[in-house]
Amino acid sequence: MAAAPTVRDPLGQLLATRRDLWRGRESAGGAAVLSSGYRHLDCWLPDGGWPCGRIVELVPERLGVGDFRLLLPFLAEQTRRGQPVVLIAPPLIPCPQALQAAGLDLAQLVVVRRANHALWAAEQCLKSGLCGAVSIWPPERMQTRTLRRLQLAAEQGPAPVFIHYRPGRSPPPSLANLRLAIRPGPELEMLRATGRIGTGDRKIQLQAYQSPGRASSAVVADPIPFPGQ
Amino acid sequence: MSAISEQSLWLGLHCPALPLTAVWGLLPESGPVAVHDAGGRQARIAQASRKAMALGVRPGQALTDALTLAPSLHSRLRNRSMETQALETLALLAYDYSHQVVLADDCTVLVEIAGSRRLHGDTETLTARLSHDVRKHGFAVRTGSAPVPAAAQVMARGGRHCPDMHSLQRTMEQLPPTALDLPTGDLQALNGCGLSTLGQFMQLPVADRIRRFGPRLNDRLAEIFGQRAIALSTWQPPERYRLDLELPAATADTAALLFVFRRAVNHLGRWLQVRDQALVELHARLECEEGGSPVRLDIGLARPGQAHDRLLELIGLKLESLNLPAPVERMELTATTTSTHRPPQADLFSGHNRADAWPALLDRLHARLGTDGIAGLAPAADHRPERSWNWTSPGTSSTVTETRPRPLWLLPEPRPCRRDALRLEQGPERIESGWWDGRDCRRDYWIARDRHGRRLWVFHEHQPGCGWFLHGLIDM
Repeated sequence: MAAAPTVRDPLGQLLATRRDLWRGRESAGGAAVLSSGYRHLDCWLPDGGWPCGRIVELVPERLGVGDFRLLLPFLAEQTRRGQPVVLIAPPLIPCPQALQAAGLDLAQLVVVRRANHALWAAEQCLKSGLCGAVSIWPPERMQTRTLRRLQLAAEQGPAPVFIHYRPGRSPPPSLANLRLAIRPGPELEMLRATGRIGTGDRKIQLQAYQSPGRASSAVVADPIPFPGQ
Repeated sequence: MSAISEQSLWLGLHCPALPLTAVWGLLPESGPVAVHDAGGRQARIAQASRKAMALGVRPGQALTDALTLAPSLHSRLRNRSMETQALETLALLAYDYSHQVVLADDCTVLVEIAGSRRLHGDTETLTARLSHDVRKHGFAVRTGSAPVPAAAQVMARGGRHCPDMHSLQRTMEQLPPTALDLPTGDLQALNGCGLSTLGQFMQLPVADRIRRFGPRLNDRLAEIFGQRAIALSTWQPPERYRLDLELPAATADTAALLFVFRRAVNHLGRWLQVRDQALVELHARLECEEGGSPVRLDIGLARPGQAHDRLLELIGLKLESLNLPAPVERMELTATTTSTHRPPQADLFSGHNRADAWPALLDRLHARLGTDGIAGLAPAADHRPERSWNWTSPGTSSTVTETRPRPLWLLPEPRPCRRDALRLEQGPERIESGWWDGRDCRRDYWIARDRHGRRLWVFHEHQPGCGWFLHGLIDM
């Protein structure tokens, strides 16, 4: 007769069966993520990438520090896979030449220009489960309740949702899985995170984005080539 | 009995409450209602609803008397054009079951069903399906059938079914003369002779009948038994879609308007189906009370289709954001359609239709945010950065030929800035263009870094003005 299997960590296993219990840094991991396109960043992000169907809050110190450029390799990969990317109420005009130079397929890009129904539009896009990524620049102060609604809608699909807060505007206490502060550099600081922590550092200094002018080809190359490319 | 009439079978759909349905059918739930004829001096009730009848309102009553009896009664003038339209709606529903549909007078539609019997199994199934379908669309109908169209009309009024000439003969013999819708004079003459059924009348010799009662009654019987041909003009669904609706009570309430639209969309759906068309855009014109300017509502579909629920959802979204100057009293619908369409295909394994869901999402966003509320981006062939991009419709693919560095974000308008706070890092890129369209410019673009370490796209303008401007953010 085979010996009864020994339970190594009975409490841990018991707790692991409870889905409503979150155990901070020791969570079981395995949450679905998508690579950010920067190897350095992937190692640092919880679970190794942007979380699918979750909210990522980006809190830039000031306008233009690079919170959107951070996402470009990931967005480009999503559009190449034929998954639409929706930008909701961006404060400025995204330049098509620069986006295409970063590898985005413009045919898969949709911009919601009206700020007055921005959150409704975001909810519709997320609920449909068809988008590859949704980036929102909330026109007004975010309420916790609104954030909760977005989170519920986001869970319907595979897309990570990026909320770009306006500089100087403190985000609400939230249930988001990931909140990053961004300073010029760019330097990222993890303000809040759930999931399995990568390197464990609180801050990360990304090497300066490759200057578009110095790129050898017209394409601002992704730091890591995606498989199958 | 002719051989031809043995083969065909006509089903009559008689809608006794048509005047009432035509006027009041657009309200979801109503209290006691009636329609009245204008008449000579006094308006008289033409038809009253069951609730009104319970309060003592009767057809033929003077409107003033009816209102005294039932102060809560709402009565509207009988509307012949709406009645014709309602009858055509009935015909449209019946057209799904047969290509021979005839609009008969006195609120009846005749359908030739012998040809479609095999498709549905038998006559009973077909009749049951058709009448269920018609009731679902708000028509209370009585059905009757006979091998001759004129007889089917009579049978429908009495709700009798005669599948062959023998049973028609037998049924006709038992009917009282009043079943034939004869002038009062003829009825009185028959009554005066003590003839209480048509059978007794038919037993009289033909010459005798004509001498005593005139040729009209005899001709009518000949029509009913198919011995005398009558001209029938079959109805065809119109080639272009158009529907006019007069609301019984003007309303600005979204729910009430949506109810009317639901009726209209069902009607449109049926029309699309029988004409094998797909909707591209629906145009609604809402006419408001007190001569307010009409409101136009255009609902376009990203992908032509026949899906009712999707269209209704879009209409609901449009109505929500609509600002009505006054309550709506009339509605006019037209449709732009196409005959080249591909019905949506669902995935074989999952049963979901993913290909259709994306256009549906875009439609929904369009409906709420307006046509320019969502857009795609495309580069434009112009060297001036402010003119080098365009909003397009989402999904437009394009190629960029620009290889020089461009910022990720452009300011809608260049904004003056101070040179001394900037450290110029890369450049200059000279852009000199536009002498032909009056927007001449000569600029040197630089990538600069400000004291916070942000990279900016700035230019020094030489012409028409002179100075430093911020035009974009490299990162953000």
